Amino acid sequence: MTISSEELQAKIKKLFEEGTIDHFIGYEAGSDSLHTTPCFLKNGEQVSRLVWNPLCPYNLSKYLLDFREGEGRTGILVKGCDARSVVELLKQNQITRDEVFIVGIPCTGQVDPDKLLEVTGASPAEITGIKDEGDAFSVTVKGKTQKIDKQKLLRDKCMVCRYPTPPLYDTLLGEAVDSLPWVTDDYALVKEQESLSSEEKAAHWNNEFSQCIRCYACRNICPVCICKECIFDKKMPRWVTKSTALPENMVYHLIRAFHVAGRCVDCGECERACPMNIPLRSLNKKVEKDVLDLFDYTSGVDVDQPAPLTTYQTSDLEEFL
Amino acid sequence: MVTKVKSKIIKKNRLTELLDKLAKEYDLIGPVQDNVISFKQVKSGSEITLDFVNSVLSPKNAFFPQTETLFRFSGDGEGFKAEPEPETDKERVIFGIRACDARSLHLMDMVFGGQLEDSYYMRKRAKTILIGLACFNPAETCFCPTFGIDPTSPEGVDIVFTDVDDRYWVQALTEKGASLLDQLAEFFDEPLGDEAKLKDAKAAGLTKMKKLDVAGLPDKMEPLYNDAYWESIGMKCLGCGICTYLCPTCHCFDLVDEGRDEGGERFRSWDSCMFPDFTLMASGENPRPDQKARVQQRFFHKLKYFPDRYGEVACTGCGRCLKYCPVNINITKIIGDVMSGKTKNE
Repeated sequence: MTISSEELQAKIKKLFEEGTIDHFIGYEAGSDSLHTTPCFLKNGEQVSRLVWNPLCPYNLSKYLLDFREGEGRTGILVKGCDARSVVELLKQNQITRDEVFIVGIPCTGQVDPDKLLEVTGASPAEITGIKDEGDAFSVTVKGKTQKIDKQKLLRDKCMVCRYPTPPLYDTLLGEAVDSLPWVTDDYALVKEQESLSSEEKAAHWNNEFSQCIRCYACRNICPVCICKECIFDKKMPRWVTKSTALPENMVYHLIRAFHVAGRCVDCGECERACPMNIPLRSLNKKVEKDVLDLFDYTSGVDVDQPAPLTTYQTSDLEEFL
Repeated sequence: MVTKVKSKIIKKNRLTELLDKLAKEYDLIGPVQDNVISFKQVKSGSEITLDFVNSVLSPKNAFFPQTETLFRFSGDGEGFKAEPEPETDKERVIFGIRACDARSLHLMDMVFGGQLEDSYYMRKRAKTILIGLACFNPAETCFCPTFGIDPTSPEGVDIVFTDVDDRYWVQALTEKGASLLDQLAEFFDEPLGDEAKLKDAKAAGLTKMKKLDVAGLPDKMEPLYNDAYWESIGMKCLGCGICTYLCPTCHCFDLVDEGRDEGGERFRSWDSCMFPDFTLMASGENPRPDQKARVQQRFFHKLKYFPDRYGEVACTGCGRCLKYCPVNINITKIIGDVMSGKTKNE
């Protein structure tokens, strides 16, 4: 069973008091009953702002990059997927292990607000409570509480989550969860894509990429997009312009997909952030599957496992040379 | 108060036929469902969807396209030639524009139609007939009444369609609108007389919408220029362009020359004050070096500089920035904090 906001607050207060952390990054109530929002605490007096519930999709690990320069030790709340991107940040030497205190929280699924509104037929204001009851979510609509099957409400990424418990943490809140009963085939989405002909794939992705408005939300929210100067922002030489012509959009998305290969942990934040509903996860999932097939590597699981694309051995095959 | 110059009705089952006719004679732009709903040019009426609260992308794209070629240039080693990008003179009709987005065009007109007229924008405005669609189902993120907008009565459009019972009540607000109704007379009937009553009944059933207090907002912004408040928001902000690109009033753009020796084009594309390179200079100096400075700029532009210059807040309460911000930054909370002096508590 997942822990309550109050238990979380007590734990974080203690971490501040003991001097274990100097900052904490967590979640607080957002603009409506269906949204939380990231929050940044500077001391134990502020912990009453913290919440934990099934509406905490944000992968906060990206914010660790903002706390890199001598600001003490930063505590961060991570779900399984988020912890995997912390592992990747450590592997890429982006953060220092001693300066981060990882508060892990076993996550048994996040609710997709759009699905919730569709299933309940309610407006956000009419939904006043959402709780994780283990095998179901209990949802309070207009004062009446009902249990709804998790699979009807979960975010797509949670449907294929293999790591509900953070693979890396300094302290774990609640009991570890080994696996989620609804997860069957991680790559059904990819196999569907792979079965298409080249022409069909091109038609599909041309249609998707042509809708991109290049707001860069997918890149900016991505916890493994860590370049200080992104190639897409470079002026000399300029590789892509701000034009939203299809070739530019395609170059943008394909370069990004390749660049996060071996580092993407399928936290799904890119797809969640995309205002144009471009199915970015299916693109990244394909790359993830290829990395698994080629290198037998799963990102974000083990800090000591060498990263496949940044590790060189003299015995590496060079079939293409 | 707008004088209604003509009032008609059209049976709902004849709407697609009407739109088909419009698509034939004009470039017809309307709300289309693709991955999301946005305003696009259509070839037939059936492509248009009316099942929407509001589009994800506002119709600003129709006047201020995200990417727009301004002119093409070429050279032969001796001389250099620039030719304007040819633009069709065909009249356009935008169908289904909401009251908030109609207001945004009024705000952008002040920028692009001001002292230095932007011919690209103004040409498109001049050849476009706007058909508004009354909104009776606002989202909880909507707060247009804050800016004196009545979602059930779009203003600044040529014609308003109001869904009443089995028909649309069609009111022309301008001469341009009235003459379009005359031209399409075959589709319209005389009103039955109960339309105003039916509309009022529907409007009365509207859930109470958020109406923020914005009296004296620009003055309340003034002392907050260096406030630490912006840091708390800048810290959370990812610096993506969603809020500015989805905003119906944001209008900043970048100019780019793209080409080779023999020629090329100059185009403009939307730009965003949320991006670090928005203010990056050739020297490497960046006067807005961090997200705090950028967030502060965005809200000062909307809530202080724009009203100082044009007399109105650069927001229409459409709620898009709040609804689609990937980290739930909430402009209504920010306005509330500024108005109530709560910025100090952050």
